[in-house]
Amino acid sequence: MTDQAPSELQTPDGGRRRDPLSMLFQSGAWRFEKRLVVRPWHEFVTLVAALVVAVGIIAGLVLFIGKSPADSFAALYNGAFGTRESTLETLVQATPLILTGLAAAIAFRAGVWNIGGEGQFFAGVMGTWFVYDLWGGLPAPLLFVLMFIFAAIAGAAWASVASGLLVRYGTNEILTTVMLNFVILYILSYLLAGPWQSPDTFYYQTVRMADTTYLPRFVTGSRLHWGFAIALIAALVVYWLIRRTALGYEIRGIGSNVVASRYKGIRVGTVTLATMAISGALAGIAGAGELLGLHHRVQLDIAEGIGFTGIIIALVARLHPLGVIVAAILFGALVNGSTAMQYETGIPKALVFVIEGTTLALVLIAAMVSRYRIRKAG
Amino acid sequence: MTETILAVDRVTKRFPGVVANDAVSVDIRRGEIHCVLGENGAGKTTLADILYGVYRPDEGTVTFRGEPLELHTPGDAIAAGIGMVHQHFELVPPMSVVENVVIGTSASQWLDLSEVRGRLNEFFHNYDVEIDPDAEVGRLSVGEQQWVEIFKTLYFGVEILILDEPTAVLTPQGVQELFRILRRMRDEGLTIILITHKLKEVMELSDRVTVLRLGKVVGTVNTADVEMRDLAQMMVGREVLFQFDKDRSDPGEPVVEVDEIHLASVTGRGSLKGLSLTVCAGEVVGLAGVSGNGQNALFDALVGVEKPSSGAIRIGGVDTADLSANRIGQLGVASVPADRIAQGLLMDFRVKENLVLGRHRSRPFSRAGVLNRGAIDGFAAESIEGFDIRTPSSSQPTRTLSGGNLQKVIMARELSGEPKLLVAHQPTRGLDISASEYVRRRLLEERDRGAGVLLMSEDLDEIFQLSDRIAVIYDGRIVSETTPEQADLQSLGLSMAGADTVEAGPAA
Repeated sequence: MTDQAPSELQTPDGGRRRDPLSMLFQSGAWRFEKRLVVRPWHEFVTLVAALVVAVGIIAGLVLFIGKSPADSFAALYNGAFGTRESTLETLVQATPLILTGLAAAIAFRAGVWNIGGEGQFFAGVMGTWFVYDLWGGLPAPLLFVLMFIFAAIAGAAWASVASGLLVRYGTNEILTTVMLNFVILYILSYLLAGPWQSPDTFYYQTVRMADTTYLPRFVTGSRLHWGFAIALIAALVVYWLIRRTALGYEIRGIGSNVVASRYKGIRVGTVTLATMAISGALAGIAGAGELLGLHHRVQLDIAEGIGFTGIIIALVARLHPLGVIVAAILFGALVNGSTAMQYETGIPKALVFVIEGTTLALVLIAAMVSRYRIRKAG
Repeated sequence: MTETILAVDRVTKRFPGVVANDAVSVDIRRGEIHCVLGENGAGKTTLADILYGVYRPDEGTVTFRGEPLELHTPGDAIAAGIGMVHQHFELVPPMSVVENVVIGTSASQWLDLSEVRGRLNEFFHNYDVEIDPDAEVGRLSVGEQQWVEIFKTLYFGVEILILDEPTAVLTPQGVQELFRILRRMRDEGLTIILITHKLKEVMELSDRVTVLRLGKVVGTVNTADVEMRDLAQMMVGREVLFQFDKDRSDPGEPVVEVDEIHLASVTGRGSLKGLSLTVCAGEVVGLAGVSGNGQNALFDALVGVEKPSSGAIRIGGVDTADLSANRIGQLGVASVPADRIAQGLLMDFRVKENLVLGRHRSRPFSRAGVLNRGAIDGFAAESIEGFDIRTPSSSQPTRTLSGGNLQKVIMARELSGEPKLLVAHQPTRGLDISASEYVRRRLLEERDRGAGVLLMSEDLDEIFQLSDRIAVIYDGRIVSETTPEQADLQSLGLSMAGADTVEAGPAA
């Protein structure tokens, strides 16, 4: 059983012939072959290549609308990292993205497709406001703790609606999480139009929160608040949870092979529920951080797609908790830099969504390509 | 019959770190069944892939009908007249048989399906195969799907048919059926190359056999001139024990009592209909039967992932009706599943992680929910050593291991807890001789240690070799019980086919 020929080593999980890429590129002198082991540097090289191609495509787009790519990228970069202030603002933008990215990453690790980060983010915002509304007079430290705990519980509870249906009835969690995003948005609309509406305005929003509830900021002159530290700590905790704990082992286990996990006594339902609760809690904490750190009043547009962007970030980071930090800062930079790009070059800010989409598509392609190698045939 | 149709001359094919084929030379004669025999990793499939245009040789030449053969794709091979049926079928399950045959033909856009259907019907009729050309392929049995693969290849009018491990998925009857038809095809002039590691098949079917070991040709012989023992020795490079010296068993208390259990399987095939069975400490009970007669359901019920709708299972006297799979494992039930990749392993995990699967929540592997990496590493090192698992390191991704080593990972994991009951379902399926020998010896060691072993196998030789008692499962019940000394193949075969049952239901 020594000296396995690669061709025979591969057959246990389906064999190389089933791979679409190798089927496509069989003729000629070069061909694709599936790699047995994908080393980190393979992934890194393809990831960098994907980003380079993404930049190229976007440059083409900018040219197409008659602007200079060099100037636009310079403006984008300066807007994101040009000064100390802009760099700190990039981190401000990255803060909630780290948390929703982690929320998606941990769920996807378990093979549970939580597309409801946006709704769970809203749930966190609402849980925070609920505590403020009820016990706003409590001393600040206790109030902060309560607000974050309720935000986490609310996010977890909202995610658990979907996971409960999944575990109990086998309902597809992609559908339920997506639909629950709308449900909670309309519940919030009702609350903002009624019980929670600020009495002094006709906008759908609450009153401004007392400034004792503002999350402290690190530096004066920047909006960077403690939420960023919370996000970083959350990333470390999720990393530790996934790699070092029995629950994390089981999360990865059911994501890798749910049948074998079940045969070896892992309670798949329980682990699914726990994973979704953690995922929802992370998105909920993101909501609390945005409310207490930046907005200070509940509005319908508070989420701005942060929950959905978290999905992209998780995928770009290959579901790695620490990679999520890097990806979130990258996407935070795009959001931040695009504003500068818009007023300096007149390129619409919406280009960011094109950039995000292009990056995601290319990174996913890169993930697949890194599993192959090109060999000279014969 | 002696004309050489295909000559492989000193073909070498290297992969990084491995010489898969090392100056391999083989002559294939027109109209013969030529087996290529070797253990896993001997280079059989690489050789077949070269003949089929999947790989090109680094050195050496292939001559086909006297002309040098230059293949770039499998398409070239088919055009030249060489077809191959892979171990893993390449069929489109929702499409009909006819549609599957025309896929990949370069026929014009407007297909005349009725003509294809006619030719298929002719084929099927000619070889006494009952398949409806309009049946959906996904609904056919595995054996029938294999027929579709074979006829799909023959439809292109190939002169050489390469079959890669064709019997791995078949029942004993299916194998006989396949062999009957392959012989007829040979008699009608087709040249057949059969890739296999099963000695019995080589002896039964082939005209000549080429043995590969570690990428090199050990020799090509006329099958009629050799004994199975000789081939085994050529293949493994040393003498092989076909018979284990095992002591008489000394059965103790029952470790598992299965009492009249009923369990409906999801598909309706292979449900349990009042099965009773006892396995005692220190004995191997061999469960013989054609697959699909309830083995899967029994396995699931014993390990606790499915619960019987009636009846009881007692492990060491404890009723397991309300116990989780995890709790049943703690009672001392270990299991080796039939499909090691789908049911037994997390292929994305490291080897060491798989070695503690199921015990990852118990001490010393975790404390208060936190994994103890030192204990896991230590245990992994011990298991790799003790079970001779061939892996560069315990951190290696499990998917890179060969079948035999995957099975050793499972065995190491399952035996480490000194189980009271070991349920082994097809433990040597797909393994080569050395690995099978190893697994069987381990099973006997478990018996001698005092565990009860339930061996479910379709390999009757294996059942005879290892069992102290033999039970036959048919249609969800135990229909007869015997011992290897008393049993003969004939009556066992009849039992397996349901001859002992009053209601002669079909062996679903």
